[in-house]
Amino acid sequence: MAESQALRWIQLLLKCTIFLFMTAAAVSSRLFSVIRFESIIHEFDPWFNFRATKYLVNNGFYKFLNWFDDRTWYPLGRVTGGTLYPGLMATSAAVWHGLHKIGLPVDIRNVCVLFAPAFSGVTAWATYHLTCEIKDSGAGLLAAAFIAIAPGYISRSVAGSYDNEAIAITLLMVTFMFWIKAMKTGSIMHSTFAALFYFYMVSAWGGYVFITNLIPLHVFILILMGRYSTRLYSAYTTWYAIGTLASMQIPFVGFLPIRSNDHMAALGVFGLIQIVALGSFLKAQVSWQKFKTVMVVSLIFLLLAGVCGLFALTYFGYIAPWTGRFYSLWDTNYAKIHIPIIASVSEHQPTAWPAFFFDTQFLIWLFPAGVFLLFLDLKDEHIFIIAYSVLCSYFAGVMVRLMLTLTPIICVCAAVTISKLFDIYADFSFWSDKSLEPSDSSNKTKIMTLVTKLTVCGSFLGYLYLFVYHCTWVTSNAYSSPSVVLPSRNQDGSMALIDDFREAYYWLRMNSAEDAKVASWWDYGYQIGGMADRTTLVDNNTWNNTHIAIVGKAMSSPQEKAYEILRQHDVDYVLVIFGGLIGFSGDDINKFLWMVRISEGIWPDEIKEREYFTPSGEYRMDALASQTMKDSLMYKLSYYRFASLFNGIEGMDRVRGQKIRDEDVGNLDYFEEAFTSENWMVRLYKLKDLDPVGRELHSAGEFERKSARSQKKRIVKRPSLDLRV
Amino acid sequence: MEFRLSYVLKLLFAWIQVIAIAQAKSSSGSKTLIVYDQRVTALEEYSVVFNSLKDRSFDIHYTAIGNDSTPIELFDGESRDYDKLIIFPTRSRHFNRQLPANKLLAFLNNGGDVLAMTSPDGVADNVRVFLNQLGIYPSPKNFVLKDYMHATDDDNSLLLSSSSILNEHVVTKGNYELKYKGSAALLDNSELIIPVLQAPRTSFTEDSQKANEKWTVGTQGYAAVSFQSLYNSRVSWVGSDSFFSDRSSSPNSQFVDELMKWTFSEKSVLKSVGGSHVHLSGLDYADVPYKINDQVVYKIGLSEWNGEFWVPFMADDVQLELRMIDPYYRITLVPNTSTDCVQYYSSGEINLPDHHGIFTFSVNYMRSGLSFVSERDVKAIRHLANDEYPRSWEITNSWVYLTAIYSVIGAWSIFVVLFLGIQGRKDVTVEKKNN
Repeated sequence: MAESQALRWIQLLLKCTIFLFMTAAAVSSRLFSVIRFESIIHEFDPWFNFRATKYLVNNGFYKFLNWFDDRTWYPLGRVTGGTLYPGLMATSAAVWHGLHKIGLPVDIRNVCVLFAPAFSGVTAWATYHLTCEIKDSGAGLLAAAFIAIAPGYISRSVAGSYDNEAIAITLLMVTFMFWIKAMKTGSIMHSTFAALFYFYMVSAWGGYVFITNLIPLHVFILILMGRYSTRLYSAYTTWYAIGTLASMQIPFVGFLPIRSNDHMAALGVFGLIQIVALGSFLKAQVSWQKFKTVMVVSLIFLLLAGVCGLFALTYFGYIAPWTGRFYSLWDTNYAKIHIPIIASVSEHQPTAWPAFFFDTQFLIWLFPAGVFLLFLDLKDEHIFIIAYSVLCSYFAGVMVRLMLTLTPIICVCAAVTISKLFDIYADFSFWSDKSLEPSDSSNKTKIMTLVTKLTVCGSFLGYLYLFVYHCTWVTSNAYSSPSVVLPSRNQDGSMALIDDFREAYYWLRMNSAEDAKVASWWDYGYQIGGMADRTTLVDNNTWNNTHIAIVGKAMSSPQEKAYEILRQHDVDYVLVIFGGLIGFSGDDINKFLWMVRISEGIWPDEIKEREYFTPSGEYRMDALASQTMKDSLMYKLSYYRFASLFNGIEGMDRVRGQKIRDEDVGNLDYFEEAFTSENWMVRLYKLKDLDPVGRELHSAGEFERKSARSQKKRIVKRPSLDLRV
Repeated sequence: MEFRLSYVLKLLFAWIQVIAIAQAKSSSGSKTLIVYDQRVTALEEYSVVFNSLKDRSFDIHYTAIGNDSTPIELFDGESRDYDKLIIFPTRSRHFNRQLPANKLLAFLNNGGDVLAMTSPDGVADNVRVFLNQLGIYPSPKNFVLKDYMHATDDDNSLLLSSSSILNEHVVTKGNYELKYKGSAALLDNSELIIPVLQAPRTSFTEDSQKANEKWTVGTQGYAAVSFQSLYNSRVSWVGSDSFFSDRSSSPNSQFVDELMKWTFSEKSVLKSVGGSHVHLSGLDYADVPYKINDQVVYKIGLSEWNGEFWVPFMADDVQLELRMIDPYYRITLVPNTSTDCVQYYSSGEINLPDHHGIFTFSVNYMRSGLSFVSERDVKAIRHLANDEYPRSWEITNSWVYLTAIYSVIGAWSIFVVLFLGIQGRKDVTVEKKNN
């Protein structure tokens, strides 16, 4: 008795130490970005989250909840408090307040930067408990170790990547853990916890819909398999009732749980489980024959009524139809045709196959094995994992960003496989087994077994080592770049940073009026808001397609038309990203076709994608480019003065490998260059004022150029004018 | 910092105004440069006009154009050297190089006022090009405005009726006849052009050397045209220098006086003392930001320069626009209070739109002949906060749902109480029986 007690203590101590090391590994591998670069907020969306968090910290929760942001989406403004998931900001504000309470005056930026690494430790802990429920604690520890360093999860949770996903994956795993516990025991407490964490998840990430559909799917499959039980009933009804009511408290979600098709599955299963409960009650009361007929008839009736009802309500507009993002999950071409704005986002593209290996290394081939092993002893909770695996494998194949939700389950399944493998092959108890008679043959078998086991264990330890190596390499090389600062190399091979974005945003912050409006493609909206603190027309919260199309139209129109559009929206500056000089391929010219497509969707008569290609259908910028392309504002703003860096006649665009002629770019009469960053990546233009004497700016420019050349006309001709009215 | 700077500027402005009232009569400076060609113009012939200018304390400088081509500097570095410019007809070929047209445009765009004359004897290239940029196309050299129906007998001058003056803000109509001998101009459709004196229906402009070369026919032609840029600097063109001379002084002096006063910003000059808007309760936007459906009042004060003082400006067509890309409201402001120098206009109560967004309160008073007044203020109108909606019980429609909710809750608790109570007793009896 005392011996087992001591053993338990040792186990606990070991477990704690392992967790400590795991958390250390998880956090430290995510700190590459801070070490390589600096403590900075990454990419695009995190800049908004950071700005919102600052607002929350400075103004308090009430103001944050009712925040009307007049510095974005000019002149519409954004009801920010009602259109964001406040979980992330609320959590980091709570952490910040907590730290201040205990006398640690940490800057809110550092809280935000280190937020994701800190939560990765919690994710590991939740994954451990989830896997414990699936198999045992050995598998749990392996799963926790995997999730701690798997690149698929690190990609969205390095230090500085202050995004909703940073906290959402943690909450996803915690919710699932509590759900499995609740489902196994029928404990109302556990399913209440599942509901509460579901609420937390709803407040943090739009991906909560995944839980909303996965748990009902699990329940539905269990019912179909005839595994209905009162435990399942109490777990699901408790989770659904509390979870749905709680999720409706988030302003952005509001009445969606009862109005949107995305949530109808959960509601339907809730109804179904009531009927099944009634059925099983009746079954206990009446004879089997009678029950069978009642069941068949009522099932058919209910199914028909349900489906018809759903269609009717959707048709009459009581239930919102599936959203575009949802359709694009089923048909990868849907978005490209119908909603270019969704397709234009790179993370909404289908995943390339190597990405799976890149993000999870050897876990990817252990993953199917794990699913197979779970099939072998098909317990209720295993069905959950299987459903999760199947669904997410599909989703991850459709959209790159959903790799993120697949990674945890890959880790769990792979851990199950490896732990099963080690259960068998790392079991060396046969060596001291006394039951066998010591003989030559048995000795030989023993040695052979030992060799086999050692080979298998050794090779898998090797794999594990390679896995750690791969994860570290991927994290440090691929996922640690803040994309605000770009790494590059000098000619002598030393490390150099390209800091054009911050240079330009800082210029804007210091040199423009505080209420200046900046028009740029929506990708840079959050960064302009966060770093330059200037009003933007559109940003990464792409809620208004028309408004984005307006900016797209301005960029794809000729100067004078663009000037008119931009002036109407009180724009002071236009910002374009140009990579042609240093070969940065993510620039606006490469995104330009999306601008054209999005605005073509709204103004098909004025903007036509075909006209931006050469007659032979090529996307060119050089002398062969179509006239519409050469006239477009984007072309002019990108290449203005570009040739002057070379010989003044034509310049070499390093991204597209084409020669840009100065005569194609022509003059800028409606805009003037305000700022161009060191490597020409960010170019800022100011809209000229209206001509004070009422000329078209183009003719004013022509006049200026003519008087500079001092051409004189001797002969005065009678002008042909319209009749003055 | 910015605030302090604007304060200093305001003080400076007020000080300049005091000086202006004491000395000059133009609202925008009085240093005048007169450019003339000695071969065409004898300055003595214009003593009436110059004396009148001197009486109004204009500080007059003369530059004669001869055969040298030293440039005429209107600017000292970035700042303007002169406030007004009078250009007489010139024949010199050097003038174009001395004062190119883009310099003239720069002078105008910097707030300088220009009075330009051309005549059949002298149309300088630079002046012509400058006027063309504004949309005024004066007839070239040797073209003369003729009209056999309205000519005087002695020197073929035209008699133009002052009752047909086209803009009352520039020159008031009268019952006298103007004596005009010179060229005419074609005008394009620019809205900044203010035609003042139109040629009669029976007139035409013809080349006096080549027959049948016509520039204008009938009312196409204009004898005097004014122009005001978006920055409120003014230009007037008259196609005749003799129109200003002492000889034609008796019929023309009133017209000339008024035209010059207008051109040199001595009349029809408006300014706004700033638009402001507050809540109906008197609270400022800075105290309580606007939300949808709030009631606000907009107020703007307008003054007019009458040559000596700023006096209240009266009008019934001042409009306020509340716009977010498109105007949501366009309200005609009504005269409210007035002081010695300012007339205030008020919108009365405005119900802000039921739409959140960033709105512009703008008054854009642009009337031909008056200087342009434009006031813009961009303010956000926020949505209702979560606790600013009416509570559920205040909406009668919701009573149905409230009743439903509370009756279900009530029924449920009664059920639980009864169920537990009854079940408990049963269990006890069953157990007893078993025992």
